[in-house]
Amino acid sequence: MDIETLHLGPIKIKNKIAIRLFSALDDRLGVKEILDDEVFEKIVPAHLGFWSCFGGISFFLFISQVLTGMLLMVYYEPTIEEAHGTVAMIMNEVPFGWLIRGAHAWGSNLMLVTIMIHMVKIYVSGIYKPPRELNWVVGVTLFLLTLGLSFTGYLLPWTQLAYWATVVGTETPAALPYVGEYIRYAMRGGEEIGQVTLTRFFAIHVMLLPVITASVIGLHLIQIRRQGIAGPM
Amino acid sequence: MSSDTSTEGMDGTRRGFFATMALAFFGSVSALGFAYPLGMYLWPRERKVKGAGERSMKIPLSDVPIGEARFVRFLGKPAVVVRPNEQQVIALSPICPHLGCIVKWREKEKEFLCPCHGGRFDSKGIVLGGPPPFPLPPFSSSVEAEYIVIKEV
Ligand code: HEM
Ligand code: FES
Repeated sequence: MDIETLHLGPIKIKNKIAIRLFSALDDRLGVKEILDDEVFEKIVPAHLGFWSCFGGISFFLFISQVLTGMLLMVYYEPTIEEAHGTVAMIMNEVPFGWLIRGAHAWGSNLMLVTIMIHMVKIYVSGIYKPPRELNWVVGVTLFLLTLGLSFTGYLLPWTQLAYWATVVGTETPAALPYVGEYIRYAMRGGEEIGQVTLTRFFAIHVMLLPVITASVIGLHLIQIRRQGIAGPM
Repeated sequence: MSSDTSTEGMDGTRRGFFATMALAFFGSVSALGFAYPLGMYLWPRERKVKGAGERSMKIPLSDVPIGEARFVRFLGKPAVVVRPNEQQVIALSPICPHLGCIVKWREKEKEFLCPCHGGRFDSKGIVLGGPPPFPLPPFSSSVEAEYIVIKEV
């Protein structure tokens, strides 16, 4: 690209060095074409408004959960001796620990709220109808995965609240006929809630569910790209 | 190419210059806003280790039989107390001066042996062989009543 002005949508760049750097990338990877098609010259339907943003906001919150969660893992220790102490340490001693934990705990609740708003919007405007039924199913899966993340994360501080919430949460499916007790047993990793439970909740919370959720978000977004944004109501 | 003087921004106009400066300013302020808490959060802090801060330590004499060595935690780091014979009580840092492994006591030979590269020390910590460049650093030790008291030197 040997030009004087680089046009990226409304942005005009004349700086030689900036253009050189950009061209270097563009010559090798064809970045300009992708940026133009997907970002700068992408045409977005005019009827999109406030309520259309909640899927994206939920996605943003997920990214934020992943980042703040990884930061919490720097200090958090998933043992029944240390869990509560390390969370207290994050809150009271680690600089900005309150900020990271606060963002994670608030984010987890907000994420459920934004997902629910997103679902209501899709439902009310009938966007779930063909050809988008499959993406509705994927979306509901994402909602359930997020509930799973909240449920498993809630035990991690190992407080009275966390403990008894998990008692209740594992007792509830135990009411199912025939399979209930086995489900409770599997969730707790035994008859009672203890170290085994904390260990498996931690593993599920920080590895299993985040990885699955990220992949399912991928499926969700791929479908949106293939099908395009739904037209106005 | 445009005249690329310093009063022009990325798009080569004066207006662009201000826009670029504003972008650079708010960009760096928000970058700092993220980097500062993140750096502070991640920077390691002193953990309150049991025994740290105490300048001396008491070990019951009966805990260290003649000929044997006991490893303890002193000032947040390992220390070893050894009684090679009836008369002597020696306290040393068991951290090998070569590359930091913890030496072990060999009762029969009455020597410390470093498992990492075979450094050897006598019961006073003097190097007998291998790569360690200097002796095991000593602590002061004394016997008071039925206790061994170790202190920093
Ligand atoms: C890779 C992603 C994630 C990682 C590594 C992670 C990690 C952690 C860790 C270490 C804790 C314990 C510290 C604490 O309680 O403050 C925690 C708590 C928690 N997490 Fe996550 N998390 C992730 C994603 C999520 C997501 C997506 C949600 C829900 C939408 C979530 C919800 C929670 C909840 C509700 C708590 C308990 C918060 C509290 O009581 O303070 N987490 N997480
Ligand atoms: S670390 Fe002890 S001999 Fe190398």
